[in-house]
Amino acid sequence: MLTRDEALKICEAVLEHAKAAGADDASVSLNNSVESHARFADNRVTTSGRSEDVDITATVWVDRRRGAATVNDTGAVALEQLAADAVAIARLSPVQREYVPTIGPLQYAEDRGYAAATATTDVTARARALQAVLEVCRAQKVTGAGFHTTRASAAATATANGNRRYFRSTRADFSVTARTADGTGSGYYSGDHFDLSRLDAQQIATQAVNKAVRSRQPLPIEPGNYPVILEPQAVSDVIGFLTAAFDARTAEEGRSAFSAKDGKTRLGETMFSERLNLYSDPMHAELPASPATDEGIPAARLSLVRNGVIENFRYNRFWAQERKRDATPGPVNYILESTQPPVSMDEMIKGMKRGLLISRFWYVRLVDPRTLVLTGLTRDGLWWVENGQIRNPVRNLRFNQSVLAMLTPWNVEAVGASQRLAPYMVPPLKLASFTFTSISDAI
Amino acid sequence: MSPVSRREFIYGSGVLLAATCVPEWASAFQPSPEREARRTEVADAALKAAAGLGATYADIRINRYRRESISTREQQVQNVSRSMSYGFGLRVLVNGAWGFAASNVVEPAAARAAAEQAVAIAKANAMLATRKVTLAEADPVVATWTSAFKKDPFEVPLEDKIAFLLKLNKTALVPGVSFVTSQILFADEQKYFASSEGSRITQRLIRTYPQFQTTATDRASGDFQSRPVVDRAKLLGYEYVEEYPWLADAEKAGHEVVEKLKSRPVAPGRYDIVVDPSQLFLAIHESVGHSTELDRALGYEANMAGTSFIKPADAGRLRFGSNIVNLVGDRTQPGGLATTGYDDEGVKSEAWHIVRDGMFVDWQTTRELAPLVGQKRSHGCLHSDSWASVPFPRMPNVSLQPAQQDITLDNLFADIKRGLFIEGRGVSSIDQQRYNFQFGGAIIREIRDGKLGAMVKDAAYQSRTPDFWASCDGVGGPATYRLWGTAADGKGEPGQTNQVSHGCPPARFRNITVLNTAAI
Repeated sequence: MLTRDEALKICEAVLEHAKAAGADDASVSLNNSVESHARFADNRVTTSGRSEDVDITATVWVDRRRGAATVNDTGAVALEQLAADAVAIARLSPVQREYVPTIGPLQYAEDRGYAAATATTDVTARARALQAVLEVCRAQKVTGAGFHTTRASAAATATANGNRRYFRSTRADFSVTARTADGTGSGYYSGDHFDLSRLDAQQIATQAVNKAVRSRQPLPIEPGNYPVILEPQAVSDVIGFLTAAFDARTAEEGRSAFSAKDGKTRLGETMFSERLNLYSDPMHAELPASPATDEGIPAARLSLVRNGVIENFRYNRFWAQERKRDATPGPVNYILESTQPPVSMDEMIKGMKRGLLISRFWYVRLVDPRTLVLTGLTRDGLWWVENGQIRNPVRNLRFNQSVLAMLTPWNVEAVGASQRLAPYMVPPLKLASFTFTSISDAI
Repeated sequence: MSPVSRREFIYGSGVLLAATCVPEWASAFQPSPEREARRTEVADAALKAAAGLGATYADIRINRYRRESISTREQQVQNVSRSMSYGFGLRVLVNGAWGFAASNVVEPAAARAAAEQAVAIAKANAMLATRKVTLAEADPVVATWTSAFKKDPFEVPLEDKIAFLLKLNKTALVPGVSFVTSQILFADEQKYFASSEGSRITQRLIRTYPQFQTTATDRASGDFQSRPVVDRAKLLGYEYVEEYPWLADAEKAGHEVVEKLKSRPVAPGRYDIVVDPSQLFLAIHESVGHSTELDRALGYEANMAGTSFIKPADAGRLRFGSNIVNLVGDRTQPGGLATTGYDDEGVKSEAWHIVRDGMFVDWQTTRELAPLVGQKRSHGCLHSDSWASVPFPRMPNVSLQPAQQDITLDNLFADIKRGLFIEGRGVSSIDQQRYNFQFGGAIIREIRDGKLGAMVKDAAYQSRTPDFWASCDGVGGPATYRLWGTAADGKGEPGQTNQVSHGCPPARFRNITVLNTAAI
């Protein structure tokens, strides 16, 4: 991994070449990454490898005309050519109406999401961990498939206006799917952390295996509206469609779920349950995020929804300038959490008269951007709950459900403790109604 | 290849400044005996080191890519960017287990270091293996292959490309259209493959991806609708921009979105539907393309994309659709995004039936997969989306064959009393075994008593793959056949993106469930 000095030296070299080639303004960013993974299925490793790369991108302006170019070569000749190429593109481009001068010197917090041991993968230790996982699977007579990956990144930026920043991050992910020999049961569980030592591979495997065994021989139910409990994984599978809608410009241009009649937006409205807060926080202990936004604004806590009320949209630097306000210091991650003492999953199940317990969703797509109606299917663990007890596994179902309607004040009955599933912290949710439209034969 | 040499182009066009300022942009992609010798040296170093460390098989891909992307909205250019990437990925088989290592430093020393890393990974993983990998036979190949194109997009002046997009936007901005966005992406892949079995293959592929979307808004009511045209990428050069009637499509998309905003919601229920190639290509992709990938049937994708409703022993036994359904896997189809000379383990491209007369007859295979269903040769479906990615099974172009008779769209509508005609890419979602799907469309019109009627909105059709293809009782003739595709087919962990096309005529399906997605 390139150090701060090494990375910024490369960025500055390109910056100097860009200025010499005639750029009035420029931003040079570098991304260095090392990734290592092992994928297993059919009780063996199917693919496994390591890759490393360095991308350098020069974005330049000449008379407000913009050009951008990227290479993955740090040689002196390549860096000079990168700058020349970006400048040549800029000279050929029309004036960029949305040009905002690059950001100047700013102070950033230290990055908190880097664990040195995660950056260097011991492939033998990883194989031993996977062997233990496969033994958990074999002991329960299920077939295990999964993915173990570690990644380390260094990102540096230098701008012509004097901004210099360099952050490192690491991430480890592990997921397991267990399938029963009779083909009628399937379970999935995953975890991720910036620190590999905080990932418990065997616990993840055990959860997946238990789900597989408990989901055998599912019974069909009629599609329709049912009360549901969503595990955190299921919430993370749909929440991105909501967080993506917090863009100020699309809302104000009248083409977002947060656009309102007569050119207004839904800012300030109570659209969600008062039990819910949604915010971004780069300093979150479990989910530390980049100390800067993509545009270099120092990241800070940003509330999007407070007690169910929409409190902020995301403004990038251009749209903030148009609206004569500051760009928002994020979001750089998304934390959905309870405003009240969290309710455990067990309590949610005990309190359910009849309904469904959902492990995860699959192939979720946005059907209607006006209402954030999504479609997708349940997968890898769906159970019928009655009178406070899990009764039997259920055949998978397709849903068509608005994520806005899902989180309305009258639909959210309980919120649990939030769990890291990057880039989110999400809680389990107990909901009064969720709409299923057809049954699926898939296991 | 372009009939105009680079030198002629530079002096004969208005881009002298650009061309002289960016020598590397063009020069790295010109033939160079020195660079090719250096590349061979790196490949040989990697393969030799792998063999010395105990690999029984090894292959290396040394690839150089360049991409150019231009995006616009209305009459503004939002972004112009170019990128280049060069590196190698080495794959080794040791003790029957795979290892892989990749680097952007294309030097003999880095190649030897990668061999050590890849062999260490393979050895560590071999202790988990309950079965050793064996590869199907393949002929060593020494060859050069270039995709068919008339005009290299990287030799076309940027101004021309920008002018094309802005003219397209202006044409699409008919009264009532609020926004139009458009993008064009060009990709140039120069790939070198070498294996321990003696293959040495050089390939070049040029792709052109224009796409756009119109949006109409009603600010008083807060309603808005969009009409995306995002299915047209091809393995072609800039001639595709010049020869295809893009402006006619843009004007049509403008009028359509205005009509869509005012259209009435669909009445949910059962309909006979006729699906246009611009939507059917995606239905084929999801329900046929992915369900007939052998790695899925074997459980390799269980943790991510899923498995398949088709079992490994089903070839030749499973009825997939009605007798008129014939589907062919084809990596030779002209213009197809998955078309190539040789796959990423040096197997020559070919075409083969996957579904014949409604019966499922064969899989998509690689050298590792073919022996697992008793086949001696691979169908050539190994692919990696980058030098940095582990190659694994990816979809070929999978295409529905037209009827031999001259059946028109009107013929397909003729006996429908209450139906829908579905065009363009809408939302698609399908389960992890490829049974239950829901597909939308960009533009949907009623069919009443055999005639096309008014546009409706908020419709999606939902079915189960075997039921859907069994209900197919009409396909268009050769003149109605179109080849459309997707430039972003995701699969695998770490995720990789594949480009793939699907040819088809329009086809008729009976008694299909249609939802009103706004009334749920």
